[in-house]
Amino acid sequence: MKRRALLLAVALGLNFALALPGHADPLMVNKLVDMRRAMDDVALAAANHDLVLVKVQPIDTALAKRGFDNPHMRLLFIGSESAVRWAEAAEPRLLNLLPLRLTLIERDGGVTLMSDDFGPWLREFSEPPAHLMVEAWQAEMKAMLDDFVAQ
Amino acid sequence: MLSRIFRRTFLILAFLISAGMVQASEVTAQVAAEAAAEPMILTTTATGIGIDAAVDALNRAIVNHNYTFVRQQAMDSRLVPYAQEVRSVRLVYFCNFTKMDRALRIDPRATQVLPCRVTLVETPTGVDLIAVNPAWVTQNMPGLHAECQEMKRDYLAILEEAAL
Repeated sequence: MKRRALLLAVALGLNFALALPGHADPLMVNKLVDMRRAMDDVALAAANHDLVLVKVQPIDTALAKRGFDNPHMRLLFIGSESAVRWAEAAEPRLLNLLPLRLTLIERDGGVTLMSDDFGPWLREFSEPPAHLMVEAWQAEMKAMLDDFVAQ
Repeated sequence: MLSRIFRRTFLILAFLISAGMVQASEVTAQVAAEAAAEPMILTTTATGIGIDAAVDALNRAIVNHNYTFVRQQAMDSRLVPYAQEVRSVRLVYFCNFTKMDRALRIDPRATQVLPCRVTLVETPTGVDLIAVNPAWVTQNMPGLHAECQEMKRDYLAILEEAAL
């Protein structure tokens, strides 16, 4: 009886796991600083990787001043000229991923810095050189996020 | 006797739960199949006009569909000196703040499709208007997918009107 119950439990567990939808996996790091300090640290980390902070989109204040709840989030767009030129030459559809987007979320006295999910792009562009290009951008982004934590 | 009844009840319950999960799994597979059918890019072409006229037409379409123009920039804006920016590729950002608020409440990863963006590429015959399909981006985010399918319909309507 015990063995049968155990087998059933395992089967149910597997069944449940299979029923779960696939999850998107953006790169994500956390740091115990406020939003203002986080913005400075992102700019420094970007510069360390030859990336330029192209634009900050303060959606927190944009929503709050229109009467919505403050989501405590900001969007940051970072890029490099070389990434644009590579995409233009190799796969212009990748220009749609540039400049790369980061989301800063302020919660409980700290911030989370999150990239876009590169997974769908890697699956869509499964062949080189586009695939390698997206992989390189993902690796650069990961290094930059690690640098942000270390600032 | 009691043990036998208990065993049978347990097996029946396990079967029912399992059947329910298989059904849930099938629904998930159906959602995944629908998502897989989503194209990555939504695109249209405005023929016979230049990029400035296309940007104007796009801005009118954005407003007509209850969105707010946020900004426009060259593809390589701030990456090269202003005078060297490539003028033939332009990014236009826009937003509907009610929809933005709703999407962010569902899942903070909604920022991956915010603000809305159309890339305009000038060609010898006109201007290509290109957008990343938000329903494609959120194919593995079930909570956001319905919201993004509505956003995709808005994109298609805006692109169609801008290309008229």
